[in-house]
Amino acid sequence: MMTKVYAVVGALVLSALGWAHFTGWAPTDVDEVKNVPKSIRDNPGSYRSAYGWARPYTGAK
Amino acid sequence: MVAKPAAPAAPAAKTLACTSCGASLTVRAPGHTVSVACSACGAVLDAQDPDFTVIAKYEQKTKIKPDIPLGSRGKLRNEMYEVIGFLVRRIKVEGVYYSWREFLLFNPYLGMRWLTEYAGHWVFAKAVSGRPQKNPDTTVTYLGATFRHFQTAMAEVAYVLGEFPWRAKVGETAEVSDYVDPPRVLSSEKTAEETTWSIGDHIEGAYLWEAFNLKGEPPVARGVGIAQPSPYEPQARPMRRMFWGFLGAAVLIQVVFSILAQGKLVFEQTFAFDRTRANAAVVTEPFELGGRRSNVQIDIRTDLSNNWAYFNLALINEQTGRALNFGRNVEYYFGRDSDGSWSEGAKWDRVYLPSIESGRYYLLIEPETGAAQFTYAVEVRRDVTRSSYLWYVLGLLVIPMLIFWYRKRSFEYKRWAESDHPMWSVSDMASDDDDDD
Repeated sequence: MMTKVYAVVGALVLSALGWAHFTGWAPTDVDEVKNVPKSIRDNPGSYRSAYGWARPYTGAK
Repeated sequence: MVAKPAAPAAPAAKTLACTSCGASLTVRAPGHTVSVACSACGAVLDAQDPDFTVIAKYEQKTKIKPDIPLGSRGKLRNEMYEVIGFLVRRIKVEGVYYSWREFLLFNPYLGMRWLTEYAGHWVFAKAVSGRPQKNPDTTVTYLGATFRHFQTAMAEVAYVLGEFPWRAKVGETAEVSDYVDPPRVLSSEKTAEETTWSIGDHIEGAYLWEAFNLKGEPPVARGVGIAQPSPYEPQARPMRRMFWGFLGAAVLIQVVFSILAQGKLVFEQTFAFDRTRANAAVVTEPFELGGRRSNVQIDIRTDLSNNWAYFNLALINEQTGRALNFGRNVEYYFGRDSDGSWSEGAKWDRVYLPSIESGRYYLLIEPETGAAQFTYAVEVRRDVTRSSYLWYVLGLLVIPMLIFWYRKRSFEYKRWAESDHPMWSVSDMASDDDDDD
């Protein structure tokens, strides 16, 4: 029984590995925004990406 | 055609009256039996004496009814046997008695066999033909197999019923040693006069009940029997083979994609940040991400020193206006204190963006920082192989192996719990208490 389960798990893991490599999947947290205005190039500061919430740690040792 | 020689006739059972109490006794293996224990009074009679004189006489305080009654006949592994004797033996460990039951089986052509039962686990045993060889360690070799020492203890006969090929009596002692190579167990019994060896293997109680046509259910098995075959053992080798096979396949997949990956540098530029400038946000020149849908690696390298920078980034598709927003933090601090020099963080950072379709893209970069000025370089690569995936795969393949190993070991842990060599505990596994006193 355990061997059958392991065979299935192994096959799934290898499939996932091949799929991740092929599609370039990565566990990165990325927000997708559609229809970004084309005027950004003229005025870059006019578009604020959604990542402003993630304030960095600034406390040095 | 050669006629088969006729099998010798089985010795007929002999009935007699107990010379102690007068109860009727049956000797089922005349010629083999040396002593007979009367079920009525417990007296042991000399079966080789024509007058059946009493060898030992004592009051058996409690009468034990054997699970397999004397006189029961059953076909075990295609051979017919009759139960002719029953013993209860016990050992004392740390003040606690542990007892087991032994049934003597007789077949006039095959001789004697034993069925022993402890905590619902049964072993079918016979005397060995050769002499097992004791090794310098605690193992014993017999017929090419190595048996591990399980337990040595002084066993005492606590109850006796029926007939035996020796002068069995309550209170007689022998040093018994068990050696196991599941599903087989090799046992020795050492008395002042001799050492006898027997070999047995695990047999299911349900099979015995069917073989002897017994009513009811066999005693419930508790814990793991001394010779009980591990259900995990036959799977161990296939599991190991699969693990190495899967790992090899994973490495192969990794190598193939590493060879096929573009890993192409599509953009590289260095920027200078100056707090005095009104707008720190920059937009890069467009660059082409070609090929099939795959990942993008972005490296940010800075010259920060005891400071931090946070980058709001957006990878924007020039044609579709679709943006992928993400943020990266870079901080690097160092110094010296009473413990010596220290540093934390890094001057650079790397991120992988998943499954980016081909097209023309540019980056919007908005740095925030505690520094007045610093420079940073941005590097974009298309279709990069990630070696870390191999570690994830290794982890996912190892986890089921660890679970399997744990269960396999737990089984053996329970088997060896009452031996002279208990295994160390993986955790405080709730093993069943197999005390039977």
